[in-house]
Amino acid sequence: MLKLIIEKELREIIGSTRFAITFGACSLLLLLSFYVGAKNFQISVEQYDASKREDLRKLEGVTDWNMVRDLRIFLPPQPITSLVMGVSNDIGRTVEVRGSGELNGIESRYGDDPIYAVFRFLDLDFIFQIILSLFAILFAYDAVNGEKERGTLRLTLANAVPRSSYILGKMAGSFLALAVPLLIPMLLGVLILVIMGIPMEGEDWLRLGLVVLAGYLYFTVFLSLGMLVSSRTEKSSTSFLYLLVFWILSVMIVPRTAVLLAGRAVDVPSVDQLASEKSRYSASLWQDQRKRMSEFRAPENTPPPKMMEEFQKFMSSLGEEREKKMSEFSARLNEKRSNMQREQEMLAFSLARVSPSAVFSLVSTTIAGTGIHLKDLYKTEAERYQQSYAEFIRGKTGQNPGGGMVFRFTTGDDEKKELINPHEIPVFNFQKEPLSASFGPISIDFGILVLFSLLFFVGAFRSFLRYDVR
Amino acid sequence: MLTTLILKELKSVLLSPKFPVTFAVASILTLLSVFVGIREYQAESNQYFAANELVRQEMREARNWMMLGNRIYREPDPMHIFVSGVHNDIGRVSSISSWQPVKLVNSAYSDDPIFALFRFIDFSFIAQVVLTLLAILFTYDAINGERESGTLQLMLSNAVPRAQIIMAKFVGSWLGLVIPLSLPVVLSIVLLFVFGVPMNAEHWIRLALLMVASALLFTFFVAFGILVSTLTRRSNMSFLICLVGWIAAVLIIPRFGIMVAGQMVTVPTVSEIESQQDTFAKNAWDSHMKVMSEKWRKRSESLEGLNEKDRKTKREEMEWAWAEEDRNDRNKLQNEIDENAKRLTEDLRNKKFTQERLAFALSRFSPVSAYQLASMTLAWTDINLKTRYEDKLNAFRTTFNQYKDQKQRESGATGGIRISVDSKTGIKIDTGREIALDLAGLPQYTYSRPDLGESVAPVIVDFGLMALYSLLAFAASFVMFLRYDVRYAN
Repeated sequence: MLKLIIEKELREIIGSTRFAITFGACSLLLLLSFYVGAKNFQISVEQYDASKREDLRKLEGVTDWNMVRDLRIFLPPQPITSLVMGVSNDIGRTVEVRGSGELNGIESRYGDDPIYAVFRFLDLDFIFQIILSLFAILFAYDAVNGEKERGTLRLTLANAVPRSSYILGKMAGSFLALAVPLLIPMLLGVLILVIMGIPMEGEDWLRLGLVVLAGYLYFTVFLSLGMLVSSRTEKSSTSFLYLLVFWILSVMIVPRTAVLLAGRAVDVPSVDQLASEKSRYSASLWQDQRKRMSEFRAPENTPPPKMMEEFQKFMSSLGEEREKKMSEFSARLNEKRSNMQREQEMLAFSLARVSPSAVFSLVSTTIAGTGIHLKDLYKTEAERYQQSYAEFIRGKTGQNPGGGMVFRFTTGDDEKKELINPHEIPVFNFQKEPLSASFGPISIDFGILVLFSLLFFVGAFRSFLRYDVR
Repeated sequence: MLTTLILKELKSVLLSPKFPVTFAVASILTLLSVFVGIREYQAESNQYFAANELVRQEMREARNWMMLGNRIYREPDPMHIFVSGVHNDIGRVSSISSWQPVKLVNSAYSDDPIFALFRFIDFSFIAQVVLTLLAILFTYDAINGERESGTLQLMLSNAVPRAQIIMAKFVGSWLGLVIPLSLPVVLSIVLLFVFGVPMNAEHWIRLALLMVASALLFTFFVAFGILVSTLTRRSNMSFLICLVGWIAAVLIIPRFGIMVAGQMVTVPTVSEIESQQDTFAKNAWDSHMKVMSEKWRKRSESLEGLNEKDRKTKREEMEWAWAEEDRNDRNKLQNEIDENAKRLTEDLRNKKFTQERLAFALSRFSPVSAYQLASMTLAWTDINLKTRYEDKLNAFRTTFNQYKDQKQRESGATGGIRISVDSKTGIKIDTGREIALDLAGLPQYTYSRPDLGESVAPVIVDFGLMALYSLLAFAASFVMFLRYDVRYAN
């Protein structure tokens, strides 16, 4: 019996004009988002390569490693990032590495090109969030009350059809009829990625697969919600209205409001405040050292090269001391701020998770590695790189980089004309967090989505058992 | 006759069961967006004043003209409550100093990516998403719904011209929705007063224009809904088509236009340009150093052959002239570097401008884009905000640095550190005297925004487009209705 109902549901949905139109639109959008993501990735890679090249070009013709002051590193584009963008366009992509001192990402993509910020990008996260949910609503809103309105519900139940298998069949049938066809554009999207030669690795595919899986769970939430509302209302027009209101709230209002509320509730000190404290502290350090600098005296009759060496040592020890104090001070301030931020984030996300759309958005960005932790991760990676860079420079010059001043004797004859090879500088390798590291939060969000679906479905089931079919 | 029809239409909108729910949602959201916007604005203003106070304090504590630096923050504006535009995407602050170029950094979203994840809700967002959906919800079955219920046939069996019916449909549903919706708008304005948001006359005019733009956008979707309902026989079909049209207009066309433009006109990144500028500067300094060492060799040659005493007098005599010459050379070089940097930036801007023009031309196929662009321009949060600020900041940087140089020279204290190396006396470091800086006459930064006239000119296109789209949609529905098959039978 169940099979029969499922079959009927399948036929009814797939044969309808509504299916033809919405499925066409959905497929088109899905394909579009894959294509746009791939294209975007290619452009980002071009830009990334050009930036790196230009930065190394600065070092052409330099003959002394002492003259290498700073190096820029860039957040490398990743295929999965172009598909689920998260905050990757909002955070600074460029970091200037001097060998010591605090690092700060600047030049976010949206800041550089506000044109993209106006309407933002079209990515999988966005399409899934908006389109899949609408798609589900459009087919589920009249699942029960629509049949009642047409009179077919009464006819069906006049036969020996248990209500429980009827609603189960409805749910299973609509899921199969909608979810399975959606696989076609998704597979085509994967094909687009392959044809366009996007270098997806094994883990990238896994990430993409998980995003799609999350998308399906999200879709199921809305499908079962549609069933629930449709079995609790008399008229299909009312149920549609309710669902639309829920959709607007879930997709657009709850997530934003939650974040804003958390922003009000937890007062995170502003970056300006921190910057100001740091700059005042740094100025006071400088004042202290000025005095000591003026007191520097080399022993008399030291030969100039020796004297220069002494002086160099003195200056770099001062620089080191300053650097150390400064970084301790900054670390303390930064830690305080990031603790507050974490608290704010916890609150915001717990509130936002009331909305299935927010859950989906959070889990898909976590899977793609473009959640709000990307910024911290990038910073940590940049700091790690800074150490290896500093070590490299130390190996070349025998001095700590960024220590303030470099003095050289130029005899004028330039007997040493050997160029440095900029490619010797260690390459920045951005290590993405492995998927296993965020396994915990991902499974929690998956659990929430499953819970939502179950809850809604059980609600629909119970309501249908007592539904007035007349 | 027309009045009767309009009244009937008004009643049918206001009394429909969906009206209370949708109206309540739209009102609450509008009010919420304004309320949140006001609170954000206030928090931002406080931050802005606090930050400026800190900068002033730092400047007061500075003990050396050379080291005096300034920071300029972008000023929050009440219009951001309604249209945040790119305000949160571009940097909030730039340092002003002689050793760093102007650069806006620390955008609100990069400081706190948590806000970037879902972005803000503002009035323009509500108007684009919620109000347009509302318009469709009430008009998708304007004609075919009446046909399905059989009332259309009844109505037309009386002596009612079709032209009047469709006119009344349009006017009636427009009034039936716009009048109630002006209630939350009025309440929002009350909120502005309650919270004491400092709005001046120009703000009010801009706000009024924004409301006109929102009404135009709304009009288009009312006309669009009616058009689709005259094109289809069944109301469930027309709703589907409306929804697809809505998704295309609100979500797809605006983004798509920009992406197509982004792929057709490629623009180098800012960091690429900066590296080019750095390379030029580095090469320029390198060759400058060579010239300098040559010069110094000549200078010392000219002193050779003199006895100790003559050498000393000559050296003292020439020292000033040499220093002056070197300073001029350095300035000339710095100018060259600045010129080159400016040229490269100009280049980048031109490319971006081409890209933007194409992108906006494409995305303006959707009235929603036209609305978004118009509203951003009205609220000073359009994409030129960044370049506008940077231009002003660059001009200010020049004045600020001139002031600093002048003060520095007047005070007579050397700037920074002077290190003298002598083979006999060794290295001596002179870090200059510490002085309390007299900051009187410090140039103050004032940002002047484009005035109303400058903003209105680009907005006219968008207003015109929205009006045109509405007119076209309505004219089409008018024509279609004249030949609509009103029979009840399927």
